[in-house]
Amino acid sequence: MSEVTTETETSPKPDSPRRRFWKRMFRNPLALFSLVWFAILVVSWVWPELLATHDPFKQDVTLQRLFEGPSGDHWLGTDGLGRDHYSRVIFGAGFAFRSIIIAMSIAVGIGVPVGLFSGWRGGRIDRAIMWVNDVLFSLPIILLAMAVIIILTPSLTNAMIGVGIAMATRFVRLTRGVTLAEKEELYVDAARITGISVPRTLARYIAPNLLSSLIVQAAIISGAVILIGATLSFLGIGASLDDPDWGVMLNRARPDFRREGVWQIVPSGGALVLTVLAFNLLGDSIRDAIGRDASSNALTISKRVDIEPTDRPHRDGALLSVRTIDVEFPTPQGDPVQILNGVSFAVMPGETLGIVGESGSGKSMTMLSALGLTPAPGRLTRGSVQFDGRDVTSISEREWQKIRGKDIGFIFQEPIAVLNPALKVGRQLMEPLLLHTDMNKSQARERAIELLAEVKVPDPGRRIDQYPHEFSGGMAQRVGIAMSLACNPKLLIADEPTTALDVTVQGQILDLLMEIQETHDTSIIVITHDLGVIAEVADRVIVMYGGQGVEGGSVEDIFLRPRHPYTRALLETMPQNHESGDDRLKVIGGVVPAPTDWPVGCRFAPRCAAATEICHTDLPSLEVIGAGVTVRCHHWEDLQSSLVDSWDEVER
Amino acid sequence: MAKYIGFRLLATIPLVFAVLVVTFLISVAMEANGSIAAQVCGEGATPECIGAVEAELGLNDPIIERFFDWFSSVLRGDLGSSLLDRNTSVGELIGERIWPTLSIVGFSLLIGVTLGMLLGVVAAIRPGGLLDRVISVGAAGVIAAPGFIIGMLLSWGIAVELGWLDPVGYVSLSESFTGWLKSITLPAIALSLPTLAIVQRQLRGSMANALQSRYVLAARARGVGRTKLISRHALPNALVPTVTVIGFRAAAAIGLTTAVEIVFGIRGMGEMLVSAIVNRNVTVLQGGMIVVGLVVAFVNLLVDISYGYLNPKVRLDR
Amino acid sequence: MSEPLLSVEGLAVHFASRGRLFGPSAPPVKAVNDVSFTIEEGRTFGLVGESGSGKSTVARAILQLVDVHAGTIRLEGEDVTKVERKDELEFRKRVQAVLQDPFSSLNQVHQTRTIVGDGITRHYGTKGAERDEMVRKLLESVGLTADYLDRYPYEMSGGQRQRVSIARALGVGPKLIIADEATSALDVSIQSQVINVLQDIQRDDGVAFLFIAHDLEVVSHLSHDVGVMYLGYLVEQGSSTAVYESPAHPYTEMLISSIPVPNPIEQATRRELRKTFINAEPPSPANLPSGCPFENRCPVAMDICREEMPAPTPAHGGGSVRCHLHTSGPELGGESVVEFIKTSASGAIGV
Repeated sequence: MSEVTTETETSPKPDSPRRRFWKRMFRNPLALFSLVWFAILVVSWVWPELLATHDPFKQDVTLQRLFEGPSGDHWLGTDGLGRDHYSRVIFGAGFAFRSIIIAMSIAVGIGVPVGLFSGWRGGRIDRAIMWVNDVLFSLPIILLAMAVIIILTPSLTNAMIGVGIAMATRFVRLTRGVTLAEKEELYVDAARITGISVPRTLARYIAPNLLSSLIVQAAIISGAVILIGATLSFLGIGASLDDPDWGVMLNRARPDFRREGVWQIVPSGGALVLTVLAFNLLGDSIRDAIGRDASSNALTISKRVDIEPTDRPHRDGALLSVRTIDVEFPTPQGDPVQILNGVSFAVMPGETLGIVGESGSGKSMTMLSALGLTPAPGRLTRGSVQFDGRDVTSISEREWQKIRGKDIGFIFQEPIAVLNPALKVGRQLMEPLLLHTDMNKSQARERAIELLAEVKVPDPGRRIDQYPHEFSGGMAQRVGIAMSLACNPKLLIADEPTTALDVTVQGQILDLLMEIQETHDTSIIVITHDLGVIAEVADRVIVMYGGQGVEGGSVEDIFLRPRHPYTRALLETMPQNHESGDDRLKVIGGVVPAPTDWPVGCRFAPRCAAATEICHTDLPSLEVIGAGVTVRCHHWEDLQSSLVDSWDEVER
Repeated sequence: MAKYIGFRLLATIPLVFAVLVVTFLISVAMEANGSIAAQVCGEGATPECIGAVEAELGLNDPIIERFFDWFSSVLRGDLGSSLLDRNTSVGELIGERIWPTLSIVGFSLLIGVTLGMLLGVVAAIRPGGLLDRVISVGAAGVIAAPGFIIGMLLSWGIAVELGWLDPVGYVSLSESFTGWLKSITLPAIALSLPTLAIVQRQLRGSMANALQSRYVLAARARGVGRTKLISRHALPNALVPTVTVIGFRAAAAIGLTTAVEIVFGIRGMGEMLVSAIVNRNVTVLQGGMIVVGLVVAFVNLLVDISYGYLNPKVRLDR
Repeated sequence: MSEPLLSVEGLAVHFASRGRLFGPSAPPVKAVNDVSFTIEEGRTFGLVGESGSGKSTVARAILQLVDVHAGTIRLEGEDVTKVERKDELEFRKRVQAVLQDPFSSLNQVHQTRTIVGDGITRHYGTKGAERDEMVRKLLESVGLTADYLDRYPYEMSGGQRQRVSIARALGVGPKLIIADEATSALDVSIQSQVINVLQDIQRDDGVAFLFIAHDLEVVSHLSHDVGVMYLGYLVEQGSSTAVYESPAHPYTEMLISSIPVPNPIEQATRRELRKTFINAEPPSPANLPSGCPFENRCPVAMDICREEMPAPTPAHGGGSVRCHLHTSGPELGGESVVEFIKTSASGAIGV
């Protein structure tokens, strides 16, 4: 058998989505309410006699007990003919369910197959079907139902046929949308490549993914069906005017409620509203239980907590100095999880610092947190940050607003995504100028054109009036750089500035960054996973792993004299450093650990070939071993003496 | 932009045509379900009645011919006459009934959209906060309550118990402005509450998405303050899906106003359509459908135009 | 010489742009133009290029996922340009794929057992315990333990998912596996694990690879032969070492000099070379120029480059190249273009 690296450790299994779903459902009081309400409704539907106290049709022939309020005999009072409200409401559940069954079987029965077909076929047929569907979709449902009713004569069944047809258009849209999206997913291609047939792909691959959104939509539409059914019955063109249907009860109460009191509409109206509400809440809570949590956004300023100070002194003369910061995120389980632990670094004026690490190493979080942009619900809990000689660890958001964009410019990954699609590029470029300088609009516009020229966007006078979607990725990143440069910042922070770009464009962007540094003498922090980019632009480097800095030093230190086993291993796994003659690459076994299961000792220990017992039990501290040179390893000294070559032996 | 509006205008023509076809098919389908004339004239129908109805609908002609006859008279603005009262033209009837309906629907949209957007933005600023939760629960409740029930409660509470406004009736704009406004206030509020809730929920959702986007984070990193982040960066993007929803809601409101009008005893399109159905007066229903179809087409056009205004990607300016 | 496993000749794929309701429709996007190459049994052919170069479209054409506009594709001598529906299963048995995104290429609702086993059932009818045993062995060969049999995709990391994808492809017993950006989405420390798995499989099972990526370093490490694509054209191909060490096309040279190496001293020299290229946007594939599409970024472009697209001519080391430099002007005759660019570009820029 071949000697491939085997995943020896099996990382712990997270909750299955099904379990998580039911957990979330039962913790949600609104979902519980709707489930309980449905239980009652189902009993009223299947076995109304069990709950009802009176015959729902029995009138009071003595005419003594009309329009009564609640009493021991008639729990919810009586109507204008002396019939028992409570019993009529109970029997009404049957009409509600009948409405749903008729309308929904038509809506789903037509809508889902048509949507599946249309989405799967695509092209011209799809467009024709969707056009017809959209015409029907945009007409009022009540009106479509009325058309069916006038054709077939008024009755609840006929009304629901009309509603079902109207609602089918909703399911066509939904199903077609999901099918179209899923069809583009690679796993559908993969199924085809494996040789799986189309019907099987639809049934086993598309349908399960469709089901969840279908259930959510069906719940909400069922609510709407009841609502419209009741409206039609209220208008007298739905259920028969003797039936104990909720809409009919409201219809019967209409002429008299002003005189006889609002109670006349409460039992039936209440049952109707609660039922529709239960359906809507059910749909919402299913959606919430499936979907991700959206309880924070870019506006949510992370909560201020007491920040534990640090005893590590700030570096003299540094433009930005960050000392031992910790960042925590609360978890549903209770204990917060630490995303960053004791991260320190400093940038001198005119210097380029590279922060390098794999996904999940905490490199982007480090920058956001140091500059007061910790995404909520995360919190900075320890450490100190100094910018331009001033302690900014706990300054207010308002004070940060004066620094960001003016003294510190940011360049982000995914250049298109960081430009607002609804605003012209020029307007976005002018924004920092108008905010932070006393330029007027025309001056700002002129300067914006200059900036575009400076970052080598051709034809800046025309481009400034274009929208972001008219820019290629490389051009958009130039705009992003121009924006961050607008106010001549002292510090530029570039978070994966070239990751989304093609390699030939990457080179041009890196050249641009280095030119800017030379002409403006700006300090730059480049955050990236690409060691090559770091080697090109950085003067000094911090290597991050598992939310910690593991090694720091000059670019020569890191690339030519790496001390930490992780840095060494990372460099050796790259094909560029591969010695020809041997056709296998060096590997680091295992996986990058998630913050929730960081090991207790050294975070790299489980993957480290040089790990000993102490590495698994004690977290090494970050040692300063020279001017600006740091390393976090128990064995760096021993490893240093055994030169790079002997790494091979350690591996085996 | 002008070119874009032109294209959108052209695109409404097939929509209107489709509505006309559907409308025409109603009378064909009714006939397939038994003689319209006999149904309209009821038991013991006189031959005169049956003859008149058959002539009105051209029931004895081939379908294609009937369609073109009907189609051309509709294009001339002739919607035929009511089958029950041969002297009433459907066009005139609708001309009379449409104003209360349009007043109520228009006013309700004004209230619903304005307040819905306001509350949507307010709720999105701090998702999960107290204000957001209160508004969300309120919106969920209001969505579940049909306009006519809210109307009944308002009519009883505000009009009967408090006596602030009249519980029923409609005053036309030509008679008195304040009277008109007073008479449509309660029905419009009743109809607007579900609109408000739907717009609120949609805008809250799309604002939440927009506020989670990278471009808002990037703007914040440029030092843009909270108010501008919301108004200038998130809102224009969040409005795009909201406008679509407002369009659908406007169409729905035209349908739902029928029940509200009946609660308030207003003789609008709603009452006209209901009695047309009960009496199987198909020409009146057809006329109503055409007018509603035109209104819906107009609303769609407005939606498309504002969509083009809000979303630079759909504009065809090159 | 016997028939190659796969031979692609003059392949072209065009996409019609979506017509509008009114007005003329836009011209088609020419995603792949006149691409020819062969893969021998048990060998790896690497296809490299940037986004929009058409490299993935070549893969999708071979996999019958897009319609071929012109040209032929042969598998073991048999024409498979457009496989009939009845022959599709037989074709799929021989050609499998590992796709780019380890997140979307596995269906979230199925366990590894099903993901890998479905194809085995489909092609060999094996079911139940017997199939599980086969899946277990496949997982072992890609370095996953039997524990992973009942895992869902969301319970695995990117590297583990990509191993499952490889096992799925392998399970069918193919002669050719097309790996489309199979390692691009992975972390550096995981990427090398997956590359090694691919190499081990080739050694053990003798399967051939069409390995597609944007990273020339990875491609040349893994491949015997390499093809470089730019805007739908295969601009250069040849043995991996020849293309990488002495590129005959200026674009190949630009690509190589653009890849940053993790060594600050070497990188400084690469950077100088990179700077000789012209800082311009590539043309859109929907609107290709009549001449060479690289002309506007090429530091040594000549008049003829603006007028006609060069035809493939032989290059040193048995490869071929599409560049006028080898037939007109300096007439380099298929030799490396590096020195020529260095001398003439520095002269032209006049530093």
